[in-house]
Amino acid sequence: MKLNVNGVERQVATEWRDENLLTVLREQLGLTGSRFSCGIGECGACLVHVDGVPTNSCLMPVAAVADKAVLTIEGLVARDGTLHPLQQVWIDESVPQCGYCQSGQIMRALALLKENKEPTDDDINRAMSGVLCRCGTYDRIRKSIKRVALLMSREI
Amino acid sequence: MVQLTRRKFLVASGCVAGGLTVLYTLGIRAAASAPTIIFPDERSGAAWIQIRPSGACHMYFPRQDMGQNANTGLAQIVAEELNILVADIHGEHPTTSDVPPLAVTAASMSLTAFSRPVALAAATLRESLRARAAAMLGEPLANILDDLGGFRTANGRKVGYCELVSGTGVVIEFDDNKSPLPLYTFDPNRQKKQIGHSVRPLDIQALVTGAPVYAADVQVEGVLYGRVVQPPVRNAHIRSLDTQGVMQTPGLVKLVHEGDFVGVVCKTPSAVDAAMAQINVTWNLEQPISQLAIDSLIDVDAEMMDGDLEHVLQDEAHRDTVDWDIDLRFEVQVQTHAQQEARAAIARFNGSTAAHELEIWTGTQDPWAIKRAAAVDAGLSQDDVVVYPQRLGGGFGGREYYEVERDAVRLARAVKRPVKVQWTRQDEFTASRCRPASTHRLRIAVDDEGNLSDWWYGYVSGHVALARERMAGWLLPIMRLGTDMGVVKGAIAPYAAPHQRVECTDVDLPIDLGVWRSLNGAPAVFAIESAMDELAIQRGEDSLQYRLAQMKGAHPRLQACFERVSKMSTKSPLPEGHNYGRGFAGGIFDGRCHVAISADVHIDVETQTIRVLHMCCAQDVGLAVNPGQLRAQIESNLVWSIGMALLERFEVADNAIQSSNFNDYEIPRMKDMPSLDIEIIDQPAIPPAGAGEVALIAGPPAIANAIRNACDFRAVKLPIAFDDITANLRA
Ligand code: FES
Ligand code: FES
Repeated sequence: MKLNVNGVERQVATEWRDENLLTVLREQLGLTGSRFSCGIGECGACLVHVDGVPTNSCLMPVAAVADKAVLTIEGLVARDGTLHPLQQVWIDESVPQCGYCQSGQIMRALALLKENKEPTDDDINRAMSGVLCRCGTYDRIRKSIKRVALLMSREI
Repeated sequence: MVQLTRRKFLVASGCVAGGLTVLYTLGIRAAASAPTIIFPDERSGAAWIQIRPSGACHMYFPRQDMGQNANTGLAQIVAEELNILVADIHGEHPTTSDVPPLAVTAASMSLTAFSRPVALAAATLRESLRARAAAMLGEPLANILDDLGGFRTANGRKVGYCELVSGTGVVIEFDDNKSPLPLYTFDPNRQKKQIGHSVRPLDIQALVTGAPVYAADVQVEGVLYGRVVQPPVRNAHIRSLDTQGVMQTPGLVKLVHEGDFVGVVCKTPSAVDAAMAQINVTWNLEQPISQLAIDSLIDVDAEMMDGDLEHVLQDEAHRDTVDWDIDLRFEVQVQTHAQQEARAAIARFNGSTAAHELEIWTGTQDPWAIKRAAAVDAGLSQDDVVVYPQRLGGGFGGREYYEVERDAVRLARAVKRPVKVQWTRQDEFTASRCRPASTHRLRIAVDDEGNLSDWWYGYVSGHVALARERMAGWLLPIMRLGTDMGVVKGAIAPYAAPHQRVECTDVDLPIDLGVWRSLNGAPAVFAIESAMDELAIQRGEDSLQYRLAQMKGAHPRLQACFERVSKMSTKSPLPEGHNYGRGFAGGIFDGRCHVAISADVHIDVETQTIRVLHMCCAQDVGLAVNPGQLRAQIESNLVWSIGMALLERFEVADNAIQSSNFNDYEIPRMKDMPSLDIEIIDQPAIPPAGAGEVALIAGPPAIANAIRNACDFRAVKLPIAFDDITANLRA
């Protein structure tokens, strides 16, 4: 079975075809940036994009995404090493504490900004409330999303 | 002797090949099951700071990273003392074989305990370099002035550190240096260049790019996957075990069953899920697990009716028969850590000829305790075991013990292959050592002038530091003759009454308990600050002014926090309308950390929710080494306050822990976030106070007092539910 992850075709061994996408990303493909926390779609630590749709990979059978494009946190950095504006602003605002939830936060924020260039507080609440952060970095996440939105609006 | 051991470590880790190295940490061997509690002192050392021949500064990071970023603060101190930029410091995380034991990373002590020894070590290094510069330039010592990355003379000659160290390693130690050194870190008159500026976590890029930093991210060749059945409580024994279906599970490598330890090893994680689903266990419990059992064990009124409580923490001419103005009973329920990382460990056994027979990768607050316990468990000598500490995806006091590591070690030994174990979220809920439930009786009487005359505070709590299964069984009864430092936390109020008594009893509960952020600090201060608020309201006084007055001039740092937060809160007026309220609370944690908080709430009848709209926090942090990270810790504590006051409900019933995941144990989400206003009060001459768990003591009572202000409802039980207050609401 083949998977398209971050624009690269990857082979999945036969014995791993019954696994969920998160497990395959982490244990077979060495892409450990997406993380396991709840396993039931409640926390977003494992969030990736499947054909552009934010998806909790812990609930997604890998066989179901065989012909789709998967984007993970590892795919956000440009070839030349430049960080995605979200990642850069996340650093500038010093968002992460323990860091465990942050891949999911950034991937969810990316999906939000793709569909909504000027998210309000309510938009942010709706989009981001599915990604838990026990360290409580929400205030900085909110600021960062707004800052990236502003950056992107200036670029156009 | 000691010196030899320390040098041996350095040589073994290849650290003194060249350059100038200073040692600073004390290490002492501890019993296998006890936490590593020795903090560094100024006399002897094992960790180091080093200037290499290239001029680069390397240091061991002595703390486990779990989000508090203490190592970054320590790097700032080193940079300040050495006149270099913090970005130029190369930090290295020692394994358990690189250095003798470093103290457990806990109790927000990282900067408090480490700042002075680290500053002294770096200053020692600097002064030793200065002496070399003096010799090199043929100038008296007094003429050698500080310069970025080196020294200069008055007439403009410069010399960099790289010119002062050679390829031959030289090691210096504190006690080589008798005269007291000027410490730049604690000089209140110094214009600081590194300290007092916000520095981001040094490894932040890894955290936003998804780089492998946690235990489960480690890739080990040929690894298998395992999991173990977690009992509802650690002293449970298996009554019946049914593993019939397990052997047929595709991908099963081995079913492992030794005594009360039952687990599986499989080729893939989904096979582990399938195999575990086939195991049915029932348990024999020493005590039934139910809410009723917990409630009756912590009933302070029943306990006080029987006479004195077990530990008297304060008694000044107390009087029994007084006409109490306030007599309230408060209750705080069980809570769990729920750190976002589901903890994981990988264990690998190597042949007896390998450098280490057993290797363990894990994220833990106490790597050296893991090493000791694993050696005992696996029947190896301590030198045969190495622990590679990984970043923790949250700790909060819940990750100090040999647990997921035990699962991995035993399974790996059984299959003779490396095994990775990651707890499920349900395992986390079942096996985490919870913050105990407690009840509190607070009685206050005032004299004719309205000043406090009598104060009587009694409470009963489950054990914290001395909880069952936290130390060896034989040690526990001896330790329990003394007080439980976790249970007594926060009990002494900052208010002055001529007649006072504070007493408590600590009890075993039917679930496993332990250390949770702020220990008993948050429950006790909830009781104290709620009672004082109620007293002020009943007397028709301004709640905040009344509290300041009742400190009777004591605790100026806490008073300053209250005054500051009062001013901050006026910047954003409370919205007009029914069911809006503002509350204040403050307190002192561990005698050194001072905080005051205001909270604005709205009780929304339509959506049936209690919403915190805005919080202000003024915190006196001692020396503010890294304001940005202090602020982050305060933000974190304010968010936890909302969880503790309004959301987190831990359910036990039917002899089991029923809370199993984030769908039945709510923690704060983005939608629960208020706006925040935080101010840090810097005290350059006072050592850093630690901020990891301070604001959590004042957040919940501030929210409870705001609810009182909004709708006259006095919350006496946490968490507060909307249903508790419906009778008080106005549409
Ligand atoms: S681990 Fe997938 S949503 Fe929590
Ligand atoms: S940064 Fe720790 S869980 Fe979000």
